Amino acid sequence: MGLAYKFDWSVLWRQPYGMWLLKGLGLTIVIGLSAWVIALSLGIVIGTLRVTQYRLVRFVSTTYVEVFRNIPLIVQLFFWYYAGPMLFGETLSREINHISGLNFYVAIIGLGLYTSSRIAEHMRAGFASIGRDQYQAVLSTGMTRVQMYRYVIIPYALRLIIPPITTEFLTIFKNTSVAMTIGVAELTFQSYQIDAETFHGLEATTGAMIIYLFLGLGVVKFMGLIESRVRIRGLVGR
Amino acid sequence: MIEIKNVSKWFDDFRVLTDINETINRGQTVVICGPSGSGKSTLLRCVNGLEPYQQGEIIVDGTSLNAPKVNLYKLREKIGMVFQRFELYPHMTALQNITLAPTKVRKWSQKRAAQKGMELLERVGIPDKADAYPANLSGGQQQRVAIARSLAMEPEYMMFDEPTSALDPEMIKEVLDVMIDLAREGMTMLCVTHEMGFAREVADEIIFMDGGRIVERGTYNEFFTNPKTQRAKEFLSQILA
Amino acid sequence: MFDAVWGNLSYLMGGLWVTAKLAFFALTGGIFLGILVGLARISKRKWIYYPITIYVNFLRNIPLILVIFWFYFVMPIIIGRSIDPFPSAVVSFIVFEATYFGEIFRAGYQTISTDLVNASYSTGMTYFKTARYITVPIAFRRMLPSLITQSIVTFQDTSLAFVIGLPEFVRRASIVDNLEVASIQLFGFVGIVFFIICFIGSRISRHYEEKGRKANIL
Repeated sequence: MGLAYKFDWSVLWRQPYGMWLLKGLGLTIVIGLSAWVIALSLGIVIGTLRVTQYRLVRFVSTTYVEVFRNIPLIVQLFFWYYAGPMLFGETLSREINHISGLNFYVAIIGLGLYTSSRIAEHMRAGFASIGRDQYQAVLSTGMTRVQMYRYVIIPYALRLIIPPITTEFLTIFKNTSVAMTIGVAELTFQSYQIDAETFHGLEATTGAMIIYLFLGLGVVKFMGLIESRVRIRGLVGR
Repeated sequence: MIEIKNVSKWFDDFRVLTDINETINRGQTVVICGPSGSGKSTLLRCVNGLEPYQQGEIIVDGTSLNAPKVNLYKLREKIGMVFQRFELYPHMTALQNITLAPTKVRKWSQKRAAQKGMELLERVGIPDKADAYPANLSGGQQQRVAIARSLAMEPEYMMFDEPTSALDPEMIKEVLDVMIDLAREGMTMLCVTHEMGFAREVADEIIFMDGGRIVERGTYNEFFTNPKTQRAKEFLSQILA
Repeated sequence: MFDAVWGNLSYLMGGLWVTAKLAFFALTGGIFLGILVGLARISKRKWIYYPITIYVNFLRNIPLILVIFWFYFVMPIIIGRSIDPFPSAVVSFIVFEATYFGEIFRAGYQTISTDLVNASYSTGMTYFKTARYITVPIAFRRMLPSLITQSIVTFQDTSLAFVIGLPEFVRRASIVDNLEVASIQLFGFVGIVFFIICFIGSRISRHYEEKGRKANIL
């Protein structure tokens, strides 16, 4: 080993570096949670639209899902951040580009849209795994399709897909790191910055890894709590 | 010769085998019967080292399975085994199933292995199925391929674990016929089966197991006409009913 | 309309080529290592199972960008001199993606009944020969749709090598964008190319899934 390298673990708590990491973590959490709200609400809607009887609606929502799934997140963020403002024409785009913290908002929206397509897919899987008889049973009580979805099917499907949703929740926090490519100073970005200043990137990134691990643990615990609250007894094989 | 001496095996506090003693001489056919869960299958798997045991000793042709550096792979070349669910490799043809071990373990050439494979397929009655995949074979045909697969390694002993239990009745005979021929040709065989017709034809000894122990043993006639223990009597009345 | 793209086409396509190369190495290495990781994850030997399980669970909880950075920092220290982004990226991807491929193979291995493996052992085949001719080939065929899907994900992930300056497709597009400020064209083009490739890939995966379901032999 070319051990001309001296480890310096104090970069993790020494000021200002410790503060940087903390601020980065803060941004990671805020972006993750905000994007999650968008992803969940949009994803449930689009996932439901995917299974309607109307071919056009199905086609549009399927296209939405396929587009957001097949293009890497980084490309999507670049597109919205650099190309997005231009879509509004010359004058508006200049205004938009002057918004401070634009990259922050783009990150939230971009990540939210991307993740919403994945949640839509999980919704579709959830609907598919509810037996046909269930649908027929509800309809035979006289409810309209909309009522059926709203009061029975969607809540049921949501509980069924809690495991993959938990994974998506974990993934969304990991994906906030991609926002660093458009200059958002989240956790991963900060660990890179620490290297830029101190050349101790190894320690910084290792520290960031541990922080992400704890964040992940928190998410899993949280989703576990939710799952036990909304559990359907005797149904989902626990 | 296979010697099983005082073999016991347990999982936590559940005794799977208790004090099993048996000697199988060359050329003999021994049939093991008993209710399900009596440890018959486990005993077979202990003999070829697929399952470990905690107490006792199994010695095959002088090699003890307890020896620290025992080569289980060499041992398994000597002992062929046929399973209840055939367990043919689904991604290979019948012939490929048979030639895999000889080419990879004994390093035979493809030609030699294929020749041997075709001979064996003839012997079990389905040479025309050499290039068929298991999914396209009936249960009886699959089991016969499985027997051929084991025979390809020219084993000195053959073990059968309920070879006909998963077969439709019409196909049982074709498999039993192959096994009877094998026994008559002098193969040393250890068979777990309920097919008493088979036992009557070729068994030198019948062992009745229950709850992990050998409860009774004897020749076919002794066992059938004059069972000594209560459990054996109950078992016989069930299967003969 | 897409002049910025056509004008720089060879440069951009060169980037796509780098992306393809990176994906190729990442996939070959990731799948091969994944086969081994999957075997380790079903091993009964604790000294193999626990370390690999920790490795898998660790890497699946941290962002890929961070892993890319980490290797970029660690490798010069280990080999004693600075390193090019491409080899560093290849290593990061192999190590990272192997955890995902490993879980796919593990699921595949678990569909193989113990007695099938026992049947192989009872003909004198060793553990490794059995793995090589029986276990892995069967698992591979059964998990082919998932393997293809994960390969598409890996292909998309290569774009993250951007952060260590690798001149792949996305980075080259952004370099051109810095010069010509035609973001809609350039990133639109990148998006379309990725879309076409990944969409075709997912159709192929769907095809094998249908084929497998109908045949249901393996």
